[in-house]
Amino acid sequence: MSDLFKYEEEREAASAAKVRALEALLIEKGVLGSDSVDTVLDHFETMAGPFNGARIVARAWTDPTFKQRLIEDTPRAIAELNLPAGMEGAEGEHMAAVANGDGVHNLIICTLCSCYPWPVLGLPPYWYKDPIFRARGVREPRAVLKEFGVPIAADVEVKVWDSSAQIRWFVVPERPAGTDGMSEADLAQLVTPESMMGVALVTPPAQSAQAS
Amino acid sequence: MKLQHSLGGLENLGPVNLETRVFVESWEKRIFGIHTVMMSESVHLADSLPKYSVATLPTEFKDTWTWASLRTGAEGMQPFEYFKYRYYEKWLMGISQFFVDKGYVSADELASKTDHYLRNPDAPLPEQENPAIAKQITDYLTKGDSGQHPLGTSARFAKGASVKVRDPDAVDHTRLPGYLRNKHGTVDVVYPGAFSYFVSTGPDGIGAPMPVYRIAFNAEDIWGAEKSEPNTTIYADLYEAYLDPAV
Repeated sequence: MSDLFKYEEEREAASAAKVRALEALLIEKGVLGSDSVDTVLDHFETMAGPFNGARIVARAWTDPTFKQRLIEDTPRAIAELNLPAGMEGAEGEHMAAVANGDGVHNLIICTLCSCYPWPVLGLPPYWYKDPIFRARGVREPRAVLKEFGVPIAADVEVKVWDSSAQIRWFVVPERPAGTDGMSEADLAQLVTPESMMGVALVTPPAQSAQAS
Repeated sequence: MKLQHSLGGLENLGPVNLETRVFVESWEKRIFGIHTVMMSESVHLADSLPKYSVATLPTEFKDTWTWASLRTGAEGMQPFEYFKYRYYEKWLMGISQFFVDKGYVSADELASKTDHYLRNPDAPLPEQENPAIAKQITDYLTKGDSGQHPLGTSARFAKGASVKVRDPDAVDHTRLPGYLRNKHGTVDVVYPGAFSYFVSTGPDGIGAPMPVYRIAFNAEDIWGAEKSEPNTTIYADLYEAYLDPAV
């Protein structure tokens, strides 16, 4: 019998040791510095992450003309905001926003790999990289969205965006009801990475509190 | 055909995974970091639009490493193995094999160092900071590596044109999702300029700068009316080499 489906006994410990060994050897050999990997990881804590996307969405909710500019010319509109440097950096060189609402629900996918708009959303969550989502999202997006807890009415058009070339897509979700008068900063706190990929709706604060 | 080139549309896989964490094990962060350092140091960046001075970067890394490298590796995996291993497990396999194949580390020293850290998981890494590499990492992450060039010749298709997706031979690597092959769609946007890809994909047809189009597909035209969900449009960005006029 084939041992194809046999995993190493201590699967995670083995991977942890191997990656540490690789990093150690690469430091010893001068391929990278001992601060290199942390420099990358720090960037995704402070500069690039869903905290940027949430601010963009909150601005779009409070300023309809900004929202229109964001959809028409995403990089230019993002540049209006005082976000960290690098909004057109790696994996954000060509970003485009699409808006939910008016009878349309958008779902972002990458069926060939895991293309994701790094500057505004950071790194892709596990569900986005999983082959099952990538396989099913284009064939039965409504069934997939239902599994994520987002049933879509039949009269709403579903638009699926497969990131196969230079564009990195993200979604401006609908502003939830009951948030009138909230500040832009408070609104940004409601916006999740999943809502900016189309697999979640944004819930108003009362419901968020109940859910957590 | 490789299964990884045609994941989109595969049936009978069961429910989606709802895990929202980026890293499900802390070691995964380190391989993501190593990959991104390699992309920042890649020799091809000397010719990129920001003209990074990687030629004088104090690193022993002297190869090209791009998304195409990682993707080609993942697409070349035995497909059952591709499904067997998690995302960053595949990265760790591909990247460590690259360093062995290129002679940066030997298989033996990687094995013995792995054994060392397996016995001593808390043993520290060597201390050898490299501020120039750190600066290049930040430069690369904030300036990126766009493949956009001025459009040399005119784009072959205009907005609204009906197109049929070609079915070229995907040898090692492609950016044409398999489920779109031979399908009919409509040009929704002609992106300004022309776009190169990191490598030539050979008979698949991309690499040199060429126009890219946003193509809209009615889901029924892809899956058939009886197998498709209603009221669904699929958009994909396709290089001109992947398109023919619809007849």
